[in-house]
Amino acid sequence: MEPVVQFDNVNKSYGKHVAVDNLNLSIEAGKFVTLLGPSGCGKSTSLRMLGGFETPTSGRIMLSGKDVTRVPPNKRNVNIVFQDYALFPHMSIAKNIAFGLELKGFDNQRIHRRVSELLELVQLQDYATRLPAELSGGQRQRVALMRALAPDPDVLLLDEPLSALDAKLRQQMQIELKAIQEKTGKTFMFVTHDQEEALTMSDTIVVMNKGRIEQMGDPNTLYGRPGSVFVANFIGETNLLRSTVISSEGDVAALNWNGITITANPGGLTPRHGEHLYVVLRPEAIHCSAAEPVSGNRVKGKIRQRVFKGNHTSLMVEVGGGAMLNTLVHPSDVAQLGGEDIWLGWKPETTTVIPDRHAHN
Amino acid sequence: MRNMVSDAPRTTLTAFYWAFILYLLLPLTLMMAMSFKDANFVAFPIGDWTLDWYAKVMQDKQFLEACLYSIMIAAASTLAATTLGTWIAMLIVADGIRGRTIIFALACLPAVVPGMISAISLRIFISTIDMPTGTAAIILGHTVHAVPFVVVMALTRLRSMPRNLVDAARDLGADGVVAFFRVTLPYLGPALFGGMIFCVLLSIDDFVRTFFLGGYRPTLPMLIFAKVQGGMSPEINAMATIVLVVTAAVGLYAEFITRRARTR
Ligand SMILES: Nc1ncnc2c1ncn2[C@@H]1O[C@H](COP(=O)(O)OP(=O)(O)OP(=O)(O)O)[C@@H](O)[C@H]1O
Ligand SMILES: [Mg+2]
Repeated sequence: MEPVVQFDNVNKSYGKHVAVDNLNLSIEAGKFVTLLGPSGCGKSTSLRMLGGFETPTSGRIMLSGKDVTRVPPNKRNVNIVFQDYALFPHMSIAKNIAFGLELKGFDNQRIHRRVSELLELVQLQDYATRLPAELSGGQRQRVALMRALAPDPDVLLLDEPLSALDAKLRQQMQIELKAIQEKTGKTFMFVTHDQEEALTMSDTIVVMNKGRIEQMGDPNTLYGRPGSVFVANFIGETNLLRSTVISSEGDVAALNWNGITITANPGGLTPRHGEHLYVVLRPEAIHCSAAEPVSGNRVKGKIRQRVFKGNHTSLMVEVGGGAMLNTLVHPSDVAQLGGEDIWLGWKPETTTVIPDRHAHN
Repeated sequence: MRNMVSDAPRTTLTAFYWAFILYLLLPLTLMMAMSFKDANFVAFPIGDWTLDWYAKVMQDKQFLEACLYSIMIAAASTLAATTLGTWIAMLIVADGIRGRTIIFALACLPAVVPGMISAISLRIFISTIDMPTGTAAIILGHTVHAVPFVVVMALTRLRSMPRNLVDAARDLGADGVVAFFRVTLPYLGPALFGGMIFCVLLSIDDFVRTFFLGGYRPTLPMLIFAKVQGGMSPEINAMATIVLVVTAAVGLYAEFITRRARTR
């Protein structure tokens, strides 16, 4: 199927500063796609180029099979939900939502029907005549969303729309947003620097770093099989074990990490003896016990810090050579560990191996 | 005792404050009081009170005509100044405009040039371009004088406007013109309303420019000036009182409206 959105070698520079560096991306219809990355990595710029508010320095942007690179914002069928909502302060909620419909030339009856239908979708029927200033943050958020959805865009663009909400409301809105996306079947292109938000809602996550795509995939793949140190660090909590290859044959590589021998599946890599690798070990993949595990990788350690987090307790465990491993246990299991000296074990297949890009030194 | 000493600066300040208020209000009060005096010369004691002078003013054709003329000039120059001022303010905040400081400085110049100088230069200007003195010239003069106030008020409001509002309008299908009339202009509304009232008051009040640029038809200040030269009479007091009350009411109302809009 033809992608709804396609970036072909898109670049954007401001003077000497490169904001977006050779972006290639296709987005399938009906998907919830998230651009994820740290501040300043070019997420908003990419989104604004698709919205028509910035013109690429070079490259091409396709929307539903048409080249829109130089088409002004009012002539392309995408709508944005802005971070600060940008609701028109002098118009009622209903008027705000109707704005795009009026400009499309719909007749009053049709506008009225569509507005009521959308207000109902977010349970704001009773607020139609209020002004934006008379709504709560979450309600404004919903209105902004409905206003952007009203003209039935090919793609809905959302630039960190939840960042102004408090934590609780944000989680609630994440679920609601995903539900609305599924219900309407619209293509959503969502921008955030919050990895948890990205994991919760997305079908596809595009991790960006310094204007480039670092990795792209579904949340499971990105979390379970990060392709670079940057992605491993950015998504979720992680232990990165920098190791030296002892030997490698097929699915099993023997590695030296801090004087301890561990094994891992090198995946597609063919590591040579003496080469450096990173092993990505997620905290929840580690099993803590008082007795030595009978199989898998294991290492003895001393608990240095425990942080109670409600549904789990996070442990910082010092293992040989001063290295620290971050792990977590169920609160009720903490007592069974006995003292501070414990064993940590993990199955080799729960880890991922990443090549060390700076292997020379 | 100690209390009185330590309170002294405060007491003095309060005394000055009241003296100032008195100084401000006394002439106005006197003027108003005299307008009710039942005799045809302005002096104490007032003796009998009457509303006859007001009745006379309201039937004075000259006064009514001058009122209408002043209002017409005020309306025209306000409309022109608001349009021009808003346009200049939009220009100053627009992207990719060079020399916005210069545009701003030029637009503000008429507010700081002394009225006399501005009046003379305008007079020289219109005779250079062969424009007759009279209504058009007065409107021109008042417009130039009022533009800076509109620019400053519109700019202040524009600068507080979230940039995204216009982007959102464009995003939803509005071209530049529609976005301006449906989003920017309503947002500017309260500021422009305040600015317009201010323009009206400036124009009604203006004497110097009108004097230099006017023809034979007198505006309100010119009529009152002419009458004063013919000798003080309570009729003039009544006229001035009417003007005072109406302009003060308009000014206060405008202040009330803009304040309410600002707190929203
Ligand atoms: N109008 C501009 N002029 C100059 N530089 C800009 C402009 N807009 C963005 N940039 C630069 O381009 C880079 C990418 O900006 P962008 O807004 O896309 O980042 P972002 O990923 O959205 O970050 P954030 O999470 O902070 O919103 C930044 O380094 C920024 O400083
Ligand atoms: Mg951004």
